[in-house]
Amino acid sequence: RGSSGSLQHKSALFSCVTGPKQVHGRENWSLSPEEFEVWDRLYRIKESDGVKEPVLPRTKFETLENLDETSKPEEEAAHQLSLSEWSLWQNRPFPTSMVEHSDRCYHFISVMEMIEVMRQEQGDCSYELELQPHLRIEDVCGGRSKSRLPTTSS
Amino acid sequence: QRLRAAVHYTAGCLCREVAEDKGVQFSKQSIAAIAEITFRQCENFARDLEMFARHAKRSTINSEDVKLLARRSNSLLKYITQKSEEIASSNMEQKEKKKKKSSASKGRRTSEEQEAAVSESEDSNM
Repeated sequence: RGSSGSLQHKSALFSCVTGPKQVHGRENWSLSPEEFEVWDRLYRIKESDGVKEPVLPRTKFETLENLDETSKPEEEAAHQLSLSEWSLWQNRPFPTSMVEHSDRCYHFISVMEMIEVMRQEQGDCSYELELQPHLRIEDVCGGRSKSRLPTTSS
Repeated sequence: QRLRAAVHYTAGCLCREVAEDKGVQFSKQSIAAIAEITFRQCENFARDLEMFARHAKRSTINSEDVKLLARRSNSLLKYITQKSEEIASSNMEQKEKKKKKSSASKGRRTSEEQEAAVSESEDSNM
């Protein structure tokens, strides 16, 4: 609906340029009265719907001072969209339609798969055991500068 | 793998600091997962930084590109900008004193670690 709406919007704009005919409020960024009526009837969430308004979680940094707007109290009454509720499904690529998965997305999937594999582990960590022989002490803080990291006792 | 090992070690050090700070413990597996995420995130950063610099018709990545990585969060952007100014002013002091040739040595450990990892991973990509 969105894309076809914007297409119509464009053609309306062009017809507006070629000849000033009856353009029914479409040149505005906002909805026309007819569009508003459709939105209000079919898509708008009202109190009678019994569903909460969906909201996205806000960015919050544990280790930084948070500047961004503090969450409104009414957000408790909204449905927070969760990005971790279905983490068990995320160790494989989900189907795509028009947009392919990004590298970033594949990184995410790989890490979720790695976590899934490590979930069964007890005690020693295979990742650690695999990497330990490759560690060169001059690559890390302990080797580069002692003043910066006081925890170089190991 | 050598780079991964270095990231893993450093992630372990940082996690130990957080663990002491918060009075919690990290399992070895969670540290490994954080290390792997960091390693892969460096690939994202490296690619973005390279594109940002190229977008500005530069071949050298500078601190403005790094700031652009943090553009989506005001808090993060403010933090990075402050650090960048601190580094710049300490660089100026060092130049005036002409004591040290090495620059940016007073940067925050993790950010420098990431930048170092970024440049190294870029080298290995080529």
